Amino acid sequence: MADDPENSVDKPDDNDAGKPEKMFTLKKWNAVAMWSWDVECDICAICRVQVMDSCLRCQAENKRDVLGRQDCVVVWGECNHSFHHCCMSLWVKQNNRCPLCQQEWSIQRMGK
Amino acid sequence: MSAAKKYKPMDTTELHDTENIAACIKKGENTALNLGRSAFGAQNMNSASTTTNGERLPNFSKLSAQHGNDLRSTSTTSNLLNRMGSNHNSKPGDVKKIVIKNFKAKPTLPDNYSEDTYLKLEEAVIAIQLSKPIKYSLEELYQAVVNMCSHKMDAQLYAKLKELTEQHVKRNIKYKELTGGSIDKLILLEKINNWWLSFCQQMIMIRSIFLYMDRTYVLQNSSIHSIWDMGLDLFRIHFAQNSLVQKRTVDGLLAMIEKERQGSTVDRGLLKSLVRMLCDLQIYTNAFEEKFLDATNQLYKAESQRKMLELEVPEYLQHVNKRLAEENERLLHYLDSSTKHPLIYNVEKELLAEHLTTILQKGLDSLLEDNRLNDLTLLYGLLSRVKNGTSELCGNFNGYIKKKGRTIVIDPEKDKSMVQDLLDFKDKMDIIVRNCFEHNEKFTNSLREAFEFFINQRANKPAELIAKYVDMKLRSGNKGTTDEELEKTLDKIMVLFRFIHGKDVFEAFYKKDLAKRLLVGKSASVDSEKSMLSKLKQECGGGFTSKLEGMFKDMELSRDINLAFRGHTLSNDRDVTNLDLTVNILTMGYWPTYPPTEVTMPPQFVNPQQIFNKFYLEKHSGRKLQWQPTLGNCMLRAHFDAAPKELIVSLFQALVLLLFNDKPTLSYEEILAATNIEDGELRRTIQSLACGRARVITKTPKGRDIEDGDQFHFNNEFTNKLFRIKINQIQMKETNEEQKATEERVFQDRQYQIDAAIVRIMKMRKTLSHNLLITELFNQLTFPVKPADLKKRIESLIDRDYMERDKDNQNQYNYVA
Repeated sequence: MADDPENSVDKPDDNDAGKPEKMFTLKKWNAVAMWSWDVECDICAICRVQVMDSCLRCQAENKRDVLGRQDCVVVWGECNHSFHHCCMSLWVKQNNRCPLCQQEWSIQRMGK
Repeated sequence: MSAAKKYKPMDTTELHDTENIAACIKKGENTALNLGRSAFGAQNMNSASTTTNGERLPNFSKLSAQHGNDLRSTSTTSNLLNRMGSNHNSKPGDVKKIVIKNFKAKPTLPDNYSEDTYLKLEEAVIAIQLSKPIKYSLEELYQAVVNMCSHKMDAQLYAKLKELTEQHVKRNIKYKELTGGSIDKLILLEKINNWWLSFCQQMIMIRSIFLYMDRTYVLQNSSIHSIWDMGLDLFRIHFAQNSLVQKRTVDGLLAMIEKERQGSTVDRGLLKSLVRMLCDLQIYTNAFEEKFLDATNQLYKAESQRKMLELEVPEYLQHVNKRLAEENERLLHYLDSSTKHPLIYNVEKELLAEHLTTILQKGLDSLLEDNRLNDLTLLYGLLSRVKNGTSELCGNFNGYIKKKGRTIVIDPEKDKSMVQDLLDFKDKMDIIVRNCFEHNEKFTNSLREAFEFFINQRANKPAELIAKYVDMKLRSGNKGTTDEELEKTLDKIMVLFRFIHGKDVFEAFYKKDLAKRLLVGKSASVDSEKSMLSKLKQECGGGFTSKLEGMFKDMELSRDINLAFRGHTLSNDRDVTNLDLTVNILTMGYWPTYPPTEVTMPPQFVNPQQIFNKFYLEKHSGRKLQWQPTLGNCMLRAHFDAAPKELIVSLFQALVLLLFNDKPTLSYEEILAATNIEDGELRRTIQSLACGRARVITKTPKGRDIEDGDQFHFNNEFTNKLFRIKINQIQMKETNEEQKATEERVFQDRQYQIDAAIVRIMKMRKTLSHNLLITELFNQLTFPVKPADLKKRIESLIDRDYMERDKDNQNQYNYVA
């Protein structure tokens, strides 16, 4: 806010020099954007909960962990399928394949 | 000291030396009391010798009697004294022995002594009864009685006395009856009272004379009444037998009491005395109380019926209160305390219990309506005295709240003031319960139950309005209320919130409003927001508020990201720094969903947007950003002829205005093509710029609505006394849509919840009949649902193979794993 007066003093000089006829100049933009995981399927195939939400286990345990979601990130495999990291780490203990395509599971990247 | 103990020394005349006896004789004991005391003192002095001997009594008595008759002799207690002497003897050092011997012959009374004494006593008694002076001294008479008793003539003496008393009583009753035939009741009462009082005095006098007999003969024979009781007994027998006299007395009393109840003053002393008489005669309960209570009942029955018609309820209550006070006073002043319970009970019954429903139906509503606290306190006080009084009151109170509350809630016309009305109503009722109903738990619970009942009479709307109300309170611009006041209001709101069944509706609207407050920066105080959040958390648990908390967290994270972004742009591209870009990054799922819209944005927007995208996604891999053009705002610097201005506008407004940089006049179609804003939205946007308060563009032809083909021009002549101007979006229509959308979302969420509950139950039970499943569902679901909706969800789950109908029993479901 404190910057505004300075800017307003600076800018007209610039504009007057460049394009004196300009009626409106965009000074400030307070934008809003939603972020979500960049996934092909919104729902984790293991726990059937939307990947944007915590997985079922984390939801149940959420009571003690207020920070909650930070832990429950999304994980992408080489096959580009995505799941809750919590769900997947339990899954690979039994079967080290992607539940959707049966390819050998290896982590491509993790959400953060 | 018990009477028995007092008399003991008489039986055991342990006078241990002659001196003491002599002292007794010399003093000439003329009252039994004195005699007793000195004898008792003697016993105290020599408490070691407690041997009781029947023989000694006559000895000592004789001694006294002789003294009374001037038969002076040295001692007749030689027996005793002998023993005492020998006791002394045993002491070493005593040399002399004193031996006192018995009389050779027993002293006798003169032959005609008993007849004479009888006559003498009779004469005295009659004299007393007729209130005439007695010829003999009282001392003499007393001695006579003592002598008679000592010579075993006590039984005859008692019979004689009884006979005399009976005659007297009879005579008097007859006399009263004769004179009472024609005289006024009051005079009769006074006469009876006088007679009674003098009878009592006479009996006291007679008893004093015959005291010795009363304490020896009477006491030893348990079947015989004491002289006083004998007198009362006789009085009672004859008074009660003579029903005319008794009836006249009682009627007289009742008439007096009735007169007092009508408001005149009566001689309370007389009443009290006569009532005491009835009590003493032990005919109070039988002869008087019953009739009195009957009369009371009749009087108040008639009176209450009359007054109920004549008076308004508050006045009637005052009247009842007055009556009860009067009756209590009556009890205090002249009635026997045993009557208290039945009397008050009867009065309460006739005046209150009988009219309970009428009083409540006729008066309660208006008392509550007019907030007449004193009358309500009185009503509660009175009704708590009668059986079922408070529960009836409570029931009617409950009914009133439900009725009144329904009118507040049900009418869509009053939606605007509903929450405030509810709060006021709750306050009012709370005060009444606290101040008038003694904070009775029954009423507190009933109040709660009634509120919960009526507030849910209308589905969803109250929840929505409460959320809106909170928004209004938490939004800035709500000046004039201090933090404490706000806090108090929020607490009250929470009370209402607790009653609401559809808490999800509240959450949805609350969330939507909170989002608006946070994004526009309109929240009045972060502390209040947090406090409200913690209240909700306390009420509904962490699950309810986790998303709301997430929203606050997003705001904090966005602040950090923006700081980092600014640092990033300063060090990298100097080109874009002339646009001050701030982005609020919201987590999808925490926030309400906003309809995705695509608009065409000029490079001024797109370039920094891309820079930010790159910056953000580098920091957070695996995410994607979806920009929300409907949210956020822009600041434009505008150059008008008069003066430069700063305009705070929405993104859409900014997009439209920036078009005028290239061309001062644009048609609607041109704008639409250039911005690609949705048609309705664009019309509203242009309307806000061309037809609102601050018209930075002008429109031809003029008019309120934006039509196809309209032309718009940059308004160079725009003036405004402010430098920075905020141009509001026109939102009327949007809110309606938003509202619908929010409701829609809530219902959608509910369907999932129903599905989840059904599956949960079925998974646990494996098989369940339809009805049982429905009841279980009603128990589990926290929001109101219709059975038809449940059926639909069950059908849907059957279609999706979560469960199936039993093959044999159509009403039974099986869980399909």
